[in-house]
Amino acid sequence: MSEVTYLQAISDGLREEMRADERVLCLGEDIGEFGGAFKVTDGFLEEFGERRVMDTPLAESGIVGTAIGAAVVGMRPVCEMQFADFIACGFDQLVNVAGKMHYRQGLAVPMTVRLPSGGGFSGGPFHSQNPEAWFMHAPGIKVVAPATAEDAKGLLIAAIRDPNPVCFLDHKHLYRRVKGEVADGTYETPMTARVARPGEDLVVIAYGAMVHTALEATEDLGGARVEVLDLRSLVPLDEAAILDSVRRCSKVVVLDEANRTCAAGAEVASLIAEHGFEDLDGPVVRLSTPDVPIPFSPPLEQAILPSVDRVKEACNELLAY
Amino acid sequence: MSSSHTEASSLVDVTMPQMGVSVAEGTVVEWRKRVGDWVQADETICEISTDKIDSEVPAPASGRVTEILVEVGATVPVETLLARIDTGAAPGEPHADEHVEAEARPRRYSPVVQRIAAEHGIDLDAVPGTGRGGRVRKQDVLAAVEAHAGNGEAPMHTESPYRPEPEPAPVPEPAAATEGDSRSRMRRAIGEHMLRSLRTAAHCTTIVEADFSAVEAGRSALGLTYLPIVARCVIDALREFPALNATFEGDRLVRHDDVNLGVAVSLGDEDGLVVPVIAEAQLVSAEGLGRRIADLARRARAGELTNDEVAGGTFTITNPGAFGAIAATPIINQPQVAILDLEAVVKRPVVVTDERGADAVAIRPMANLCMSWDHRALDGALAARFLSAVRRNVESWTGG
Amino acid sequence: MATSIARPAATTPRAVASDRTVASDHLNRDDRVALLRFMLLMRGLEERAGSLYRQGKVPGSFYDGFGQEAVSTGAAFAMAAEDRLCVLHRDLAAHLVRGVAPARVLGQYMGRAGGVTGGRDGNVHFGDRTIGCVGMVSMLPDMMLVATGMAMAFRLRGERRCALTWMGDGSSSRGDWHEAMNWAGVQRLPVVFVLENNQYAYSTPLEKQFAVRLVHRAKSYGFPGVIVDGNDVEAVFEATRAARERALRGDGPTLIEAETMRMHGHAAHDDMRYVPAELLERWRARDPIDLQSARVAELGVDVEELRAAVADEVDRATEAALAMPMPEPDTATDGVFCEGEPEPLGDGAQPWSGFHV
Repeated sequence: MSEVTYLQAISDGLREEMRADERVLCLGEDIGEFGGAFKVTDGFLEEFGERRVMDTPLAESGIVGTAIGAAVVGMRPVCEMQFADFIACGFDQLVNVAGKMHYRQGLAVPMTVRLPSGGGFSGGPFHSQNPEAWFMHAPGIKVVAPATAEDAKGLLIAAIRDPNPVCFLDHKHLYRRVKGEVADGTYETPMTARVARPGEDLVVIAYGAMVHTALEATEDLGGARVEVLDLRSLVPLDEAAILDSVRRCSKVVVLDEANRTCAAGAEVASLIAEHGFEDLDGPVVRLSTPDVPIPFSPPLEQAILPSVDRVKEACNELLAY
Repeated sequence: MSSSHTEASSLVDVTMPQMGVSVAEGTVVEWRKRVGDWVQADETICEISTDKIDSEVPAPASGRVTEILVEVGATVPVETLLARIDTGAAPGEPHADEHVEAEARPRRYSPVVQRIAAEHGIDLDAVPGTGRGGRVRKQDVLAAVEAHAGNGEAPMHTESPYRPEPEPAPVPEPAAATEGDSRSRMRRAIGEHMLRSLRTAAHCTTIVEADFSAVEAGRSALGLTYLPIVARCVIDALREFPALNATFEGDRLVRHDDVNLGVAVSLGDEDGLVVPVIAEAQLVSAEGLGRRIADLARRARAGELTNDEVAGGTFTITNPGAFGAIAATPIINQPQVAILDLEAVVKRPVVVTDERGADAVAIRPMANLCMSWDHRALDGALAARFLSAVRRNVESWTGG
Repeated sequence: MATSIARPAATTPRAVASDRTVASDHLNRDDRVALLRFMLLMRGLEERAGSLYRQGKVPGSFYDGFGQEAVSTGAAFAMAAEDRLCVLHRDLAAHLVRGVAPARVLGQYMGRAGGVTGGRDGNVHFGDRTIGCVGMVSMLPDMMLVATGMAMAFRLRGERRCALTWMGDGSSSRGDWHEAMNWAGVQRLPVVFVLENNQYAYSTPLEKQFAVRLVHRAKSYGFPGVIVDGNDVEAVFEATRAARERALRGDGPTLIEAETMRMHGHAAHDDMRYVPAELLERWRARDPIDLQSARVAELGVDVEELRAAVADEVDRATEAALAMPMPEPDTATDGVFCEGEPEPLGDGAQPWSGFHV
């Protein structure tokens, strides 16, 4: 066990799985010599060589498409999009080729696409997105989004070992801000939700960086015992855990950092409305970023990303309902 | 501004203030409170307008507004009585015109509140709400359930022609209700149920003796007591004789496909007994029944059974024999038509006949199976045949 | 390689000195007959499928490669069992060369449970993974990147194998064409790109698609482009065989531009009124099956007997396919995800004699 940052945990997970499984290969822009824009693959080229740590041309469609080819002949490619936002350039390959291949042809595509996502540090409109909902909506693609260092390592390894295309969302803002105790060696975290803090009076459902916002906001709300449910996996979505929290707490705040319309939280809210109706003691409240491109200047960005104060306010209001 | 207090009552006056030396009158622009509203001291009670200045008038005391004497738009001299506040009122009291409001907009209850209320027989109209606008929140109905728990548990039957006693008031004060009665609430409830059962059913009891040698041989290997094995034998016999797996619904006798087996559990001398039900028991093996019975008994004694777990039974078995009695005439658990008592297993000398027809005396573990049954639903011959089937199952038990 | 960078226009069929010219030194008699047989089988199946389509037994749309049979037959014939193929919609013969049973092809068109995809995808959007074929997607030329990726894996693992994909002239206008050519070129990957220039992308002629002949682009990516007579099955074979050898030597990719003509509409619902009649006439005179039949007849083979045998095979396949049930409705949501161990692509048939020395 060691205490490492979320970033280090991702790097460790990738490194240790590459050591354990020679089929794993990394490909992405600037990941070799440079060690990756965020240094996730720092030192990898020295250890694994060019055959397994590939600096690709600037071609997201190419990265995803060639990864598909490598995967169907027995490799386990891990693509890095330099920023999650750039997956838009590889959208067609991911959704139309990778996602649909097994359903159509019975041919599995065991590949992982790492997506450094999220905002909060003046990245601007093209370096701050949370695109997970696009891929939740595409059949045949799994989507995972860890919030802790421990889960970051375990979910990455689980994603690599999964025989399907998996989008792995690294939240950039957690890279160095979050640390945790992480076991050595390889282990898999199941693609299920986790109760980050148990409670009874209200549950905040979140994933990624918003889990930490939720925990901070609901630490001390006038004695109310607020549960925080960390989804961890968006596809598959842990419906049982969500409904269990709703059953016990009866009041729900669903928190998304992504743009509001059709974000992951919309699916969660819809699930609760349909299957948790009898357990509700109040409307299902959603908090999210409004439908705007993420602005660059700090006061603008801070105004739209869900803040600790906004979460507190929403919880207090719902508690009093 | 001025206010005046009258010593005789807890009413406090609100009067038109003088907003300046030369101001002689003021006009009421807006009332922020209605008659019956609660107002805090210093909270704005109305807005006024004068020649000099417009102003908000803070309430001189906390309490409930009992009268408003000057309407909006009226101009009155300084020190005119505008309103009165009753400082003796309590904040939780309903608004004076709430009943009128209620017709216009009935109280609404959330899904979870309705569900909990239905499960526990709570009248939501009587539950005070601490949520926004006075709505009943989940914790409010749960508090009502706890307060209510002492009295009216859901009655064990609702179909008896003899209607259950009306629910006692939801204030748990048993000593006040029945002076000098040292029985616990449970004991009284059980007593009433038993009396009703005797008045309702035409009780007869039939007894058979069963040889438990086969059971003895197999049960220790499985780690089972007698009860779950007998339970399984009873369930199998009920499949042969479905007339006994029936309940009265009013005057109608209804047979059931599923055997929902009630198993009487003693809670101790003070608290009597409770009968949790194993639903669809026909699907459960003897070992499974053993585990379920143990679990239900533990939870019953810890007070953890839910209402669902004591409802819906179609046949009951009981085992007072664990305490050494060898025969009894149990009372039927309404609205079922029979109840079977497993009495003590005792070593007795019995006559056994060998293959050649010769008789000998052998020592065998024997127990009486005593079944009380309702003559409205069946007769002695059927009761005896059923019990014989149970005995046959017990005596040929191989561990299934 | 062509030397003049002329503005592209619809190609007139290239004249060949003699239809008896031997285009390849690597084909024996049996190979030549086999090439003809595969082309006959492709045409026979597509004609039958077209007929079934007009009878209402084939749902959706119907695409064929009438007149282009040589491009898929010749190229697939040069591929080894361990090579991997991305097969496009006018390349039915490639599936047949690799070993797909004709009945399963017809079943596939009719959406039957016994079709190659079991009704999951339609017409030629299929690839039997057990024989090393990856089923295409409609977005073209996405499969170029998949083939590039397969070749990349072979190179990374040091394996002597190659990947091959077909693509059309129309697809060359999309970004993925460039990304694949560039990637394959910069990494010197063992991939063969067979560009079927059949003169039209649906109704769009060449002169509206690109300013420079496609074959010349290859040089910009660092590897050779060759033009081949797409209606000469042996020439297509030879070009592919040579390209494969290049790839296996480690010399990187090749772009083979096979000139041919799409003799039917884009699909069964297209009457291709935009194609000049005389163009069709000239290409009809160089029908690939006619050309190969003449060659093979010279060798003393009874072509009519061969045709009859293929026709019979098509009839039997039709009967078998018509007997296949439709898929069960409640299986519609199955198989979105792979649940167990993934199975990579398998090896296909390799009928060329060159693999059996």
